[in-house]
Amino acid sequence: MSGDHRFLGLLYLSPYIIGLLVFTALPFLASFYLSFTDYNLMSTPTFVGIANYAKLLTADRTFKKSLSITLFYVFTTVPLKLAFALFIAVILNYKLKFINFFRTAFYVPSILGGSIAIAVMWRYLFADVGIVNMALQGIGFEPVNWFGDPTNALFTITLLRLWQFGSAMVIFLAALQSIDKSLYEAASIDGAGKFATFWHITMPLITPVIFFNLIMQMVQAFQEFNGPYIITQGGPLKSTYLLPLYIYEAAFKRFDMGYASAIAWVLFAIIMVLTLIAFWSSRHWVYYAGDKRS
Amino acid sequence: MKLTKIFLGVALAATSLAQTANASNLRMSWWGGDSRHKATQVALKACGDKYGHTIAAEFTGWDGHLEKVTTQIAGGTEADIMQINWPWLPLFSINGDGFADLNQYKDIIDLSQWTKDDLAAGTMNGKLNGLSVSTTGRVFMFNKTALDKAGVAIPKTWDELFAAAKTLKTKVGPEAYPMNAVKETAVLLISLYTTQNTGKDLVDQKAKKVAWSAEELAKGIDFYGKLVKEGVVQTQKSVASEGNLNLFESPKWADGRISGSYEWDSTFSKYADPLKGQKLEPVSILKNTDAKTEGVYRKPSMVFSISKRSKDPKAAAQILNCLLNEPEGINAMGTARGLPASKIAAKTLIDGGKIEPEIVAANAIIMNGTGPTVSPLNEHPEVRAVFIDTLEEYAYGQIKSQEAAEAIIDGVNAVLKKF
Repeated sequence: MSGDHRFLGLLYLSPYIIGLLVFTALPFLASFYLSFTDYNLMSTPTFVGIANYAKLLTADRTFKKSLSITLFYVFTTVPLKLAFALFIAVILNYKLKFINFFRTAFYVPSILGGSIAIAVMWRYLFADVGIVNMALQGIGFEPVNWFGDPTNALFTITLLRLWQFGSAMVIFLAALQSIDKSLYEAASIDGAGKFATFWHITMPLITPVIFFNLIMQMVQAFQEFNGPYIITQGGPLKSTYLLPLYIYEAAFKRFDMGYASAIAWVLFAIIMVLTLIAFWSSRHWVYYAGDKRS
Repeated sequence: MKLTKIFLGVALAATSLAQTANASNLRMSWWGGDSRHKATQVALKACGDKYGHTIAAEFTGWDGHLEKVTTQIAGGTEADIMQINWPWLPLFSINGDGFADLNQYKDIIDLSQWTKDDLAAGTMNGKLNGLSVSTTGRVFMFNKTALDKAGVAIPKTWDELFAAAKTLKTKVGPEAYPMNAVKETAVLLISLYTTQNTGKDLVDQKAKKVAWSAEELAKGIDFYGKLVKEGVVQTQKSVASEGNLNLFESPKWADGRISGSYEWDSTFSKYADPLKGQKLEPVSILKNTDAKTEGVYRKPSMVFSISKRSKDPKAAAQILNCLLNEPEGINAMGTARGLPASKIAAKTLIDGGKIEPEIVAANAIIMNGTGPTVSPLNEHPEVRAVFIDTLEEYAYGQIKSQEAAEAIIDGVNAVLKKF
């Protein structure tokens, strides 16, 4: 490639590179520096060493509670969402009438799901006189206090995330469709039942996609903000007070940017460690065709 | 003749250019409800047309506005003219350098329209950072139509409020409440009751600590507990189950099942608007006979400030003066921010019969009420957060009133230490 062409390539890439540097890399590094400072937005940051981290990890009860709620939220929503997305993908992989309509219909919530409007809609759906309670009463159940009861509030937020299973589903569907049909024919000739076929052929072949979805969904779940902010404001009794809410409140309600940055970096470290564990464990359960280890 | 035509042409062109050169593109930000948004936009158009400036309107609800303004100020992108809550002045401009000093534009802004007290309230470290838009306070307001229907007289004392709840339950049903108290309003009701019992504000300004003892505050929290227990106000759990709606958005408020609240007098219209065909009435501060003071929670409401980074502060000052002191602004703004603090604005509106009698009555209750001076630190975000979070634990039965009082005092004292 001539020098001119290299320059042209860089020129084409420059909007992305500039965007990455200015809007991602710079704030990323700045927040790391700020996490070692006392900074209230209005004055110059003052270096305080590891004081923010020390307070966070040893003396902050709200952080401990928020972290445990966040971990519970991630460890429940991610497996449930993946299982549900896979279940629907398997159904939509059958040759049904109007299949394209159903595929689109199931994907739509993922486009809308994270928006403020949907969070507001959730608030009305699950309100004490909302449609969900009306439906429950219609089939003879007692209405449920979805937002006012600390044990139910997190469940309601979890449902909002589960509802947005479409993107994971589409990826599963693509993976299911790429499986060589001759493998199913061979299994059928050998007398394998539907469950055995699914477990011994389908599952191993889509493990790379399960792994991909696992990482993506885990990272997204750790960053959940809109749902609890709009619907429950972290309450009641901080039962839906996920770490991103705590970061937001520390930064923009208390103007403690240094402390908020420290929480953000602890969250980043947790996501990083869990991702590395997932990568490490993948060698034991992810099958790559043509990989000698497999 | 030809020469005259050329001369006239040049003169006209010069005049039009001069006007263009003076025209500015400004921005103004504020929070509020629908009635305030509409009135302010009309006022900005009228004042903009008068001075040849264009003013972009940036408005939101109350929630999140502090965060928005903070981020803008930190990033240097704030609007030229800002509506700033009075308790925010120490947050943004403790040394008086956070906003433009409006004293520098006294040839444009007629400062004689404000009292010395009003100007002092907007002054930080000798610099006039904000002009008081109105003096505001918390006032009781009752849905007279709903109470009349149930045959309940508007309460004047706490005891009458408890009695009203009993009658409403019998005549209307278990879901009828004569008062609303959740989050900030619950905090202010407890503060009101405790101030009435002690004669003191929450914050001791000089000592920079809470002025109430734990026992005194616990009594106030018990009072809130009684309000809930006797069905005067909804439980926090019940309000949360409805989706944490703002009172003015709640169907229960609109149809009169909740028939009273304790709100800023400047927001009277916001609460009256949803009550189609019903009459909302401001009412004197409830108290019992042994109260040491009425405990009125009175303060300068919001102020209008000019950004210190405004590219054309003189144009912003023209618009500010127009909004607050000139007929175009005064008539368009009306009482969207309560009864104006500017003397000329108040006179213009009263003489023109443009102030609803309820707004005048609500403001009179605030202005004539007695009580200790209210510290702006009452509304420091951390002070409020400590109070609201601890009260929620009490409301959910996690802690007793005495524990709650001790936790609130410890938490608030920790914040006050920083000042």
